[in-house]
Amino acid sequence: MTILLSISWRNIWRHPARSGVLLGAIIAGLWAGIMVSSLTNGWIQQRFDNLIQEELAHVQIHHPEFLTEREPWMHIDDTDEISAFLENDDRVSSFTVRTLSDAMIQSALTSSGVQIRGVDPDRERQTTTFHENLIEGEYLDAEVRNPVLLGERLVEKLNVDIGNRVVLSFQDLENDIISGAFNITGIFKTANAPYDERHVFVRAEDLYTLISDRPIHHEIAIMLHDQTESDDLAADLNQQISGITAETWYDLSPELKYITDMGGSMTFYIMVVIMLALAFGILNTMLMAIFERMRELGMLMAIGMSKLRVFVMIMLESVILTLTGASTGLVIAHLSVNYLGRIGLDMSGVGGESMAEFGYDAVVYPIAGTNDYVTTIILVVFTAIIAAVYPAIKALRLNPADVVRD
Amino acid sequence: MPVITTRNLSKVYNPDTVPVHALRNVTLTIEEGEFTSVRGPSGSGKTTLLNIIGGLDKPTNGMVVINGTTITGMKDSKLIDFRLNNIGFVFQSYNLIPVFTAYENVSFIMLLQKRSKNEMKARTEELLEAVGLGSKLHSRPRELSGGEQQRVAVARALASRPKFILADEPTANLDTASAMNLLDMMERMNREENVTFVFSTHDQRVIERARRVITMVDGAIDSDVQQNGDRKYAEE
Repeated sequence: MTILLSISWRNIWRHPARSGVLLGAIIAGLWAGIMVSSLTNGWIQQRFDNLIQEELAHVQIHHPEFLTEREPWMHIDDTDEISAFLENDDRVSSFTVRTLSDAMIQSALTSSGVQIRGVDPDRERQTTTFHENLIEGEYLDAEVRNPVLLGERLVEKLNVDIGNRVVLSFQDLENDIISGAFNITGIFKTANAPYDERHVFVRAEDLYTLISDRPIHHEIAIMLHDQTESDDLAADLNQQISGITAETWYDLSPELKYITDMGGSMTFYIMVVIMLALAFGILNTMLMAIFERMRELGMLMAIGMSKLRVFVMIMLESVILTLTGASTGLVIAHLSVNYLGRIGLDMSGVGGESMAEFGYDAVVYPIAGTNDYVTTIILVVFTAIIAAVYPAIKALRLNPADVVRD
Repeated sequence: MPVITTRNLSKVYNPDTVPVHALRNVTLTIEEGEFTSVRGPSGSGKTTLLNIIGGLDKPTNGMVVINGTTITGMKDSKLIDFRLNNIGFVFQSYNLIPVFTAYENVSFIMLLQKRSKNEMKARTEELLEAVGLGSKLHSRPRELSGGEQQRVAVARALASRPKFILADEPTANLDTASAMNLLDMMERMNREENVTFVFSTHDQRVIERARRVITMVDGAIDSDVQQNGDRKYAEE
């Protein structure tokens, strides 16, 4: 085997330029493949984190009809019972309660339709990372009467700023329209520009005081230690507490689930395209190598090199060449992913800002796990073997008597 | 026991379309230590004969016995193994492995035979010394002249300690000085180590040095002459 490895390695470098071009193609292809898939992974992971960690959480509880009807009176009846349940459940990392309402926001200049999210500032901070999106001003624990946080885009639309006052109009429990004046204390910016335009954040207490004569909550968002337990917790809540519906993040946001699933498929298809190109490159190179060395291969068989050894030698040439390129490509890709994973790749210059319209960050942090690299190496070796089979079989069909003569 | 025996060897190419009779009932015997040349015009069947004797091609009819073993009908895998241990080949175009040094080209066949490292080293150095290339052990084929490459090829053929060496037009690509040098070296091997050589050739220089000359015409043996003047065999 050592001699076969040695002869295969030296055969590869018979034509340094040709092997170099193929190595370059393998390196570039793998680097590009890993980069594209890691950027896709990063984009999807960021979208997932944005949605789950900033707002959705892993499980949410509502009145059974709230999400379709969104009527103020469709609130959760017994928040205390649910809170007690969640506080005693080891699967739960934290949870927060929210009072929600559809509303009209008015500035001195214009008005716009929004959703009010009334939150408990402390619990919200413990459960989600929404507070990290604050780009200016103070959070809801500012010592101001009726503070409100507005998205950057809404601020521009309403032509308001921190310290200005806006009026929010919404329905109370009796479906009467009521209004309240709120003071802008902070401006937030998430990765999702439309979200920033359509949502405002107030203290739940300030909101339910206007809607009702007692505390009411429309939503409980629950973060788990392990998101794979979402299904079990939702099922337990639905079984043990009446008058509510508990749903997992993928029930609430099926498109997120679809995007997460699609990410894996997309990476797979990208790798298939790269492997196909690689396979044809190897096939071409190995066929050229066989045609050039027919006499030599015939001589080897004539003097007593078995067909199995000839076959293994050609397969080894292909595998060694591909592994050399692939390992170099993977090292470069790994370094690139690590570097960009730290500083991020700013896509705003190439239309990345428009991704914010769909809820994606303009700065992407690529992610590639060990599994991605291992899978790629396996795919590459598999491709190299498959691509070399035909040239190797072609070599085995040589008749030494025909090829050893000029 | 003869080293090579053929009985009624026939070879027909394209039997179903346009049959070409490359060999017609060739029967011959070559004893150990012979220095034999097979000559004839192009298409006379000399290369086909050597290929069939060497187990590189199969006859349509007849049989080949090498050192008491019938190789006709032998399975390919067995035949390759048989060639490795019994037959040495020297080709017109040298056919050295270009990425190997002279040393590696010669020792490679012993690697296939799984000889010990010490034996390989000693044998390779001895053979390359014997063919006058002791100072060029680590030269690649492209660094050697045509004559030197062919001498490496002869050393490679001898490395496996074969029963005989088949040399197909070994001097065809060599100038006179290189050809004579090569023939001197092979003659010496034949004389001193009793190595059996069978050449196919057009080259008068080789024919003149052979002790036995078999002439082929149209796939059959036309004459079989000992160079000392004895007529050993002749077709009527």
